[in-house]
Amino acid sequence: MSKMKMRMSRFAALALVASATLASAARAADVDHRRLVDADKNPADWLTYHGTYRSWHYSGLDQINAGNVNRLKVAWLHATPKSTRGLQSFPLVADGILYYSGSYNQVFALDGASGDLVWAYKQKLDDDLVSKQTHSPYNRGIALGPGSIFMGTLDGKLVALDQRTGKLKWETPLVDSKKLTVGFTGAPLFVNGKVIIGAQGGEWPYRGPIFGVDAATGKLAWTFFTVGGTDENDPARKTWGGDSMKTGGGGGWMAGGYDPKTNTVYWGTANPAPLYDWGGAEWKTKGARPGDNLYTTSVIALDPDTGKLKSYHQELPHDAWDFDSAVGEFVMLERGGKEYIVHPNKGGFVFVYDRNLKVQNVWRGVKNINFVKDIDPKTGELVGRRDMAEGKHEALCPYIAGGYSWNAGSYNPGTGLYYKVGNEWCMDLEVVKTTPVLEPMAQLNIGSNFTVLKTTPDGGKARGHVTARDPLTGALKWQVDFAEPPLASLLSTKGNLVFVPDARGYLRALDARTGKELWRHNNGQGHNGGIISYMAKGRQYVAVATGWGGLAGDDYKVLYGEPFASMPTDQGALVVFGL
Amino acid sequence: MPVQGAGGAALACALALAAAAADLNGPMSSRPRPAASGAGMVAAPDGAGEAFDVNKLFAGTCGWCHSSGGRKAGRGPQLMDTRLTDAEIIARIKAGKTGAMPSFGSAFSDDQLQAIVRYIRGLKPEGAPQ
Repeated sequence: MSKMKMRMSRFAALALVASATLASAARAADVDHRRLVDADKNPADWLTYHGTYRSWHYSGLDQINAGNVNRLKVAWLHATPKSTRGLQSFPLVADGILYYSGSYNQVFALDGASGDLVWAYKQKLDDDLVSKQTHSPYNRGIALGPGSIFMGTLDGKLVALDQRTGKLKWETPLVDSKKLTVGFTGAPLFVNGKVIIGAQGGEWPYRGPIFGVDAATGKLAWTFFTVGGTDENDPARKTWGGDSMKTGGGGGWMAGGYDPKTNTVYWGTANPAPLYDWGGAEWKTKGARPGDNLYTTSVIALDPDTGKLKSYHQELPHDAWDFDSAVGEFVMLERGGKEYIVHPNKGGFVFVYDRNLKVQNVWRGVKNINFVKDIDPKTGELVGRRDMAEGKHEALCPYIAGGYSWNAGSYNPGTGLYYKVGNEWCMDLEVVKTTPVLEPMAQLNIGSNFTVLKTTPDGGKARGHVTARDPLTGALKWQVDFAEPPLASLLSTKGNLVFVPDARGYLRALDARTGKELWRHNNGQGHNGGIISYMAKGRQYVAVATGWGGLAGDDYKVLYGEPFASMPTDQGALVVFGL
Repeated sequence: MPVQGAGGAALACALALAAAAADLNGPMSSRPRPAASGAGMVAAPDGAGEAFDVNKLFAGTCGWCHSSGGRKAGRGPQLMDTRLTDAEIIARIKAGKTGAMPSFGSAFSDDQLQAIVRYIRGLKPEGAPQ
């Protein structure tokens, strides 16, 4: 080859790379409403926290499959700086570029094939405030919109970054975190020009707002208060006795779902405060917060343009156990010509709704439940509540960390199964009459002293499992038991795989049809975040957040000893696998 | 006498607090409180106006991590029989520990910090003679 030809060839190659980069950047700027609605048609991307608006946590890619997963290797990894409390977030991918957030509101953009850094961003935070926070400094996810990355901050702001450069476009203060201590840790949801995000709040004496913000300008469009609603005439206000509404808790600390057909956002709301109410069985008229306490521990349907409430269902009226509804994904399904939403509640039950949030079925996903005797599958009504008055109570199940925690399950349209981690654990507690701490800044308002138990009333140990069930009936197809509950989200794929990032540090690939383990790899530290699959430069990858130290995982030192007693809680890395 | 919950330990703690807590306008309330009229008066019977009660402080805030009122290890360490000195306990409450414990800064007065230390020093196992 002559020098001229070589130069031309190099020039052509450079031009190709440049044009591909530009094309990629140009396309990446177009994560708009239409593309998000159609996200399941392009499995190369992972555009929202829950994968797509259907919240399936499913990848339609099958380059990696049950037949070849035994050849899966680490392709690259990215060490996350300052990973206090591990890495709890969910990566997003658009056009081969991977974006993810870490503790202290850091964001990274990486080449999805090589892991090379495209840009990095670190939010300037009020360090003094962050040091005073309990549920901090982790961040659980970001949102993609047209040309922007959106993130809620620990100190109560919503920020927009330029998707191509990582430069700050706007930031909007939404929560007075200096006063209320809390801010944002959950991922926002971008819907048709609005960025929707819920504040932390269940344990704090406030009214747990959810915000709708204009994505282009950062201007606040609406606020919905999960405690008592926004409208002064909202009948929900009558469900709070005395002044309790002012310090009622609530919030919506995980990303919700969206149905484009009806332009409806679904959000799960957090528990009321204090978590445990000394009113006991007389909770309708006595105690810390007499009444049903709407709209806490509820699923709510909002108009994303206005924030107006369309419908709701309170999963646990007067939640007295901290089993809020914020944890569960909103799995959108269609079967037999009918549309459903499947939503797990922290108490260990799964609620099945129609799109107007009318209960269609309720099934239990864990065995050790005694906060109620049952929940009526036809009406959703609680049967045989265990309301605990002031004093000591033994073996309340589940434990405060939940029968289900915030780690998401996965629905696979190929198998028709819903995969979910369940937790079998309980606790002793002493309910105490407390008063909210409001000055100089709000503090947790729990209402009890509690102790996690190493055993369960069914004669077993505190443990976990991954189940594959029919999402509408709960019928069990298979179950894999874990000595320690996995605390990370699951991923299922078209390649007949279910990936389970476990607590000890193993990433496991199970056969989605049978639960048989096909492959595993030790990532060296526990998993407590997200997992996705995507395509970059023609290859399928699986990216998983590694890093231990979340609030639920903190219990593992006492429950299980090693390896958790010596596991670091200030390390994190995104580990990416390919064939 | 608002001695809830942990029986004798709380009672001992409340009595100790009654004697020690000069500043009753602690972080357990956002409202001005009536001044204590005597050593035996620890708190009003309900809601706002209550005195600084460490057992309640644990049940409201600290117990999230320090199980059974500090008697057992949980998300945070067991406080009963801690080897930390009084000064170290107070320093940890004020400054916190990154990724493990929030800093409470100036949330507590010196008297309240001393009351928390006395509560921790007075912790006994559940069911043990107090």
